[in-house]
Amino acid sequence: MATVTNWIDHLSAKEVVGAVYPGAGSTETLLVILGIVIWIGWHVITNKSESEELSRLAKKRHGANDHKSNITDW
Amino acid sequence: MTDQLGALTTIFTEFYYWVTVVLMFLIHVGFCMYEVGASRYKHHQHTLMKNTMLIPLVTVTWFFFGWWIYWAFPTGPGIAPSIMNESAALITDDSTFSAKWYLANSEFMAINLGDHISGVFWAAFLLFSWTAASIVSGAIIERITTFAFGILAIAIGSVFWTIDAAWGWHFDGWMLKILGYHDAYASGVIHAIAGGFALGVLVVLGPRIGKFSSSGEPRNIGPRNPWLVTVGLFLIYTGFWGFYAACNIPIFDLGPEYGMEGVTYWTATNIYVTPTTLSGITFNFLMSLSGGLLAGYVIAKGDPFWTYSSGLAGVICASAGNDLYHPIQAMIIGMIGVVIAYKLHYWVERKFKIDDAVGAVAVHGYAGFVGLVICGFVLNGYPSSGYSVGAMWDGSTYATINPLGQFLGAIIMFGVLGMLPGYIIAKVLSGMGKLRIPREVEIAGLDYEMMESAKEDEKAVSSATR
Repeated sequence: MATVTNWIDHLSAKEVVGAVYPGAGSTETLLVILGIVIWIGWHVITNKSESEELSRLAKKRHGANDHKSNITDW
Repeated sequence: MTDQLGALTTIFTEFYYWVTVVLMFLIHVGFCMYEVGASRYKHHQHTLMKNTMLIPLVTVTWFFFGWWIYWAFPTGPGIAPSIMNESAALITDDSTFSAKWYLANSEFMAINLGDHISGVFWAAFLLFSWTAASIVSGAIIERITTFAFGILAIAIGSVFWTIDAAWGWHFDGWMLKILGYHDAYASGVIHAIAGGFALGVLVVLGPRIGKFSSSGEPRNIGPRNPWLVTVGLFLIYTGFWGFYAACNIPIFDLGPEYGMEGVTYWTATNIYVTPTTLSGITFNFLMSLSGGLLAGYVIAKGDPFWTYSSGLAGVICASAGNDLYHPIQAMIIGMIGVVIAYKLHYWVERKFKIDDAVGAVAVHGYAGFVGLVICGFVLNGYPSSGYSVGAMWDGSTYATINPLGQFLGAIIMFGVLGMLPGYIIAKVLSGMGKLRIPREVEIAGLDYEMMESAKEDEKAVSSATR
């Protein structure tokens, strides 16, 4: 996985390769797909939990000032 | 990098943009404080988290596709040919500034020893994206779902503003060539579009419960914590200063860039690669801020919320031409923008029952729109680019700055790329039942459950100390 194993060899090469992260040149597309899955997944998970929270709270029908009884001392 | 002067220039430029990014972070800190200060106690925590979560959402999508759009779309596509490859298609070829290098899987979208600029430039634009999304966030507090806001934030932050930046801010943008569009510090490119987008969403979203009486008279739901709002706006001013620096190229030799044989001319330039100075824009930033504050204090009769917001609106209004204005011109333009934005805000509120909770549509949208139009008159005849000068509608050369081009540009920013997409996306989300929180939740407060559990925690702690 290591793209660089010896800096002296790497920097003294005729053409210095710029990309030095692990898996350079072979893993970028896979990483992007993984990133997109995480991003979309986040929306799916948070949408579900937000919907549940909102419908639970909506059922209780609190008044506009009910929250005042929940104000803590600090 | 093997020659020392070249290395110094590159690393100075890298550091310069990095500093602007850190400064611009304060814009978001300010927006978070400002929004929480403007919201009611029972909505505080959700308001804060809504604005905070736009940071990762816009960042990852900016990485995946937003930055690519900026480099791909300057030609429209299909409206005016690129000066780099003479094609009007999307710029995805092998040319130096092609979008090809900014695909998310490109080796330049990572640590690369051969590229010191892409990451900091990407980040500078990303901070602009956060700002665009955050402007929208303030207008719609206390009644939108976090899910819907996330989608809207991505739409404005990683899609629509970046299209407008490609069209009207990129050195190769078609709006410069065909319209002579000029918007050096983003009166339209960020502020008018974000204000227009917010207005489009507000039309669908509707007002907060209780904002209007049964006869339609607006009620004031003023900021609950004026101090938080004040400090927030001070931080936004500070970050905005960093934004001005970020819109410049700090050091550039325009001689070879413009093809002037034997000429060497090192200077700072604006985003269009035409000369300006960091010193000069500092004059104008402060004078337009002052003009906004002076006018805001008078028109709002000393109201702190509107006076501070007016400082921001003053800068926003003068920003389109602040690379070239005289400081007193900048001050007067800032004043004009504030008066128009303030009056329009209340007129639109009464006439169309639009509940813009923080005046974002006015401060950013109307002031930005007016700033573009004024710029067309004051800078009429200046070249919109250094690469060539031509006529309007020509398309292959760059038109000069002119009132009609700026007015059409303002409509494109505020209406076509701002209000229209905001309205359509909000309509779709509303149709899915995902846009607005239930009425009962809005009345109880989004934080009700959090507050209830905090009270239980407090009771438990209190009983343990008896």
